[in-house]
Amino acid sequence: MHEYSIVQALYDAVAAQAASARATRVHEVHVRIGDLSGVDVGLLDTAWKTFRVRTICETAPMEVNRVAGDDLVLERIVLEVP
Amino acid sequence: MCDSCGCGDTKLVPIDVQQRILSDNDRTATHNRHHFLERALLAINVMGSPGAGKTALLEATARALDGRRRIGALAGDLATDHDAKRLEAAGIRASSITTGSACHLDAAMVHHALHHLRWSDLDYLFIENVGNLVCPAVYDLGQAANIVVLSVTEGEDKPLKYPVMFHKADLVLISKIDLLPHLPDISLDRIIDSLRRVMPDPHVIMVSARTGAGIAEWIAWLGAREAGLGASHYAQAGGSTGPTGESR
Repeated sequence: MHEYSIVQALYDAVAAQAASARATRVHEVHVRIGDLSGVDVGLLDTAWKTFRVRTICETAPMEVNRVAGDDLVLERIVLEVP
Repeated sequence: MCDSCGCGDTKLVPIDVQQRILSDNDRTATHNRHHFLERALLAINVMGSPGAGKTALLEATARALDGRRRIGALAGDLATDHDAKRLEAAGIRASSITTGSACHLDAAMVHHALHHLRWSDLDYLFIENVGNLVCPAVYDLGQAANIVVLSVTEGEDKPLKYPVMFHKADLVLISKIDLLPHLPDISLDRIIDSLRRVMPDPHVIMVSARTGAGIAEWIAWLGAREAGLGASHYAQAGGSTGPTGESR
């Protein structure tokens, strides 16, 4: 169950982007997950929903683009900026 | 959404990030790899199930090398330093990485552990990962090669059930082959067939740490990897990052 560790890294990357853009909220998170990445998408989603509580990502769904190969990539985020 | 009237609405700003989620781990792994390269040290990530015989393999390796190479090991486990003590008793300079509840090693744990091991004069460093066929495969540690120890008692289809780890393996050691006469239902051919289905470039050595069978071939494999140590070799090792931060 390394998905929580992956989500921690994902959250850190998203939060850094949000801080540099002075965003008040993260609206969406899009990730690309390869079938040989060693990550279970269901567990990753559960970990994300647990981890995002009371953070800037609280209401941000994680959209998963499943691909072949071993990609484990933060593709794109949508921020709410004042 | 509203730019003009001052109502306080926020606007939605999309940002194209395209960054490896484990990019921090990749950076630390690259740093570790750089350390190993500077010292011409062959670092091997040893993975496999709990009880596959990872520690026994390293003990047999030390016996076979008999002082011809300086070898060290970092032994990862959730709890206890039993493996590190066994390795020390076998003449391997060892330090344990106790992960608590974490099911794998990451590059930062290895980097931290290097501060507790006199490693810079070693020829080989074995990073004995936490016994687990899933999670360790995801994290680059800075190794030159990944090996998986798969014992004959684990069943013939483990490579098919856990393809990611075997897909990333440069070498699979099928261990405990001295037990085969006692396992009439286990076919070595079927294990090897499973490996061929998931490994892009299958390299397999059959070993017994108890009898020493196959250990000479394993030592020769290490020697060949050692001879091939070089910048290009390291740059190709599992999960390393290129200039764009993308994996391979």
